[in-house]
Amino acid sequence: MIEVDDLHKVYGSTVALKAVSFRVEPGEILGFLGPNGAGKTTTMRILTGYLPATSGTARVAEFDVHTDSLAVRQRIGYLPERPPLYPDMTVTAFLHFVARIKGVAAGDRPGRVSHAIRRCGLEEKQSVLIRQLSKGYRQRVGIAQAIVHDPPVIVLDEPTSGLDPRQNREVRELVRSLAGDHTIILSTHILPEVDATCNRVAIINRGQLVAAGQLGALMEQLTGAVSYDLEVRGAPAAVQQTLAAVPGVASVALSTSSTQMDSRYRFTLKAAARDPGEAIAATLVRAGFGLCELRRHQASLEDVFLNLTTEEAAESSAAPTPQTDASTSPETP
Amino acid sequence: MAVKQIISSLLAVYRRELQSYFAAPLAYVIATIFWLLGGFFLVLVLLSPEGLLALTAQRDQALQSGATLAPLDVAYEFLRGYLGVLGSLSLFVLPILSMGLYAEERKQGTLELLATSPVMNWVVALGKLLAVVTFYIGMVLPLMLCVAIALGTAEPAVAPTLLVVGNLGLILLATSVLSLGMFVSSLTSSTVIAAILTFALVIFLWIVDAVARAIPGGLGAALNHLSMLQHFNDFTQGILDTSSVVLFLSYSLLGLFLTAQSIEALRFQRN
Repeated sequence: MIEVDDLHKVYGSTVALKAVSFRVEPGEILGFLGPNGAGKTTTMRILTGYLPATSGTARVAEFDVHTDSLAVRQRIGYLPERPPLYPDMTVTAFLHFVARIKGVAAGDRPGRVSHAIRRCGLEEKQSVLIRQLSKGYRQRVGIAQAIVHDPPVIVLDEPTSGLDPRQNREVRELVRSLAGDHTIILSTHILPEVDATCNRVAIINRGQLVAAGQLGALMEQLTGAVSYDLEVRGAPAAVQQTLAAVPGVASVALSTSSTQMDSRYRFTLKAAARDPGEAIAATLVRAGFGLCELRRHQASLEDVFLNLTTEEAAESSAAPTPQTDASTSPETP
Repeated sequence: MAVKQIISSLLAVYRRELQSYFAAPLAYVIATIFWLLGGFFLVLVLLSPEGLLALTAQRDQALQSGATLAPLDVAYEFLRGYLGVLGSLSLFVLPILSMGLYAEERKQGTLELLATSPVMNWVVALGKLLAVVTFYIGMVLPLMLCVAIALGTAEPAVAPTLLVVGNLGLILLATSVLSLGMFVSSLTSSTVIAAILTFALVIFLWIVDAVARAIPGGLGAALNHLSMLQHFNDFTQGILDTSSVVLFLSYSLLGLFLTAQSIEALRFQRN
């Protein structure tokens, strides 16, 4: 439904986007994740035809966003970062206006408008001036204007920014309910949001796509390197030797912060396989060492995100989480 | 894109823009001031000690005492004088009417909605221009009613075409200035800057007009042809010249074209 190929965008001397490619299948929700200023809004503006790309192509519903701009604009619903609202109009009048300029046939307009109002929970506010609405309601009117013409593709730029937790959840539920009939791209810098709403995620940083894929698979890939903290009673060298022999263990190190207490030592262990915890425990016990503590560390989505979007991590491949070799090719899934 | 769709979008933009004038206090303030001043000048032109009626009375006296004077068409003089005043008054008001056309959209972020909707730029610009011209006509109409009443007492009766042509001139002048003002408004997100720049443009029109009168020869004649105010003068005298109509329409089209281009360019540069 959406195909982005090798998109570059340069503003003067600053490079805003560098070789961004991804695609979104019909009915999917793609979470576009990145810190502020990473290029999310730029990508979305290119997709909606508001900005041209410096090079590369973007296609929405088989139409090129640059050469077939009008056809694309007809098929896309867009909520910019700041909802585009006329404060002097009532909600209904505004949605009628949008339906009209989006080319909804006259006969369908009342139905489409009331459908959008219902969908976004605006029934109570439909004849209120937009100027008098709270931020949460304005955001909903913003979403309503993006769906009023029933576009196959919906682009939402930070739909939950500035909302309170409850409104946040409502908006997420609304977005989720739109998937299936619509293909959705949603940008955010809030991680739980991606977790809660999206099927797939694309992480962008400093204009470059650093990871893309199914959320679960991506998590597995990126957080695959599990590490363990152990506290074992026994001779450190012997323990180390035993541990290193366990299948699935990549390396074992005597922890530097190890305080020798009661001849217990602390070790840090890096796993190569997915979950060697049981094997580690069994081996240690069989070998007659005292296993006092075994704790697993798994990077959270937050860690992954921070790792991917901080410079040091992006540059040194020796960082704790294995770098994104597998995931830099965005078409992985 | 189908013609039907274009007209539908045009009407949508037109109605929204027109409605926005009625929703904003600024429009009421401007209309009120315009009517107050318009009414004031109407009285001044007719009834002040140096006004037309006093002048006529003096002439009547002079004629009775046997002096010979060139004939004076009072109704015609009144219309010409008053339309001239209204024209000047309008030139002060028009920049305020046009300043928000695009600047406001940019400020509210709604330009992003318009630019990502399946509507061509010139359709949006034309809808906006028609809306603001409609509002201006609404401002002029009550004053014209007063003028029509005043002219109704004229003896012999004045041909209504005189009034119609004069008003057409006023509206064409306004359309040209509003169209160029709309272009200025599309360049900035500040309504104040838009108003000031448009006002500078109006002053420039006056300067061109003054220079055109002052310079003899080919250059002066050329400027004369380009001067909106010269052509407007023709209209106030009841002269309906096709070339004047064409000139005003050209200015209006230029404004529309430049607006559409500047919005297009904006999409290519924004950061």
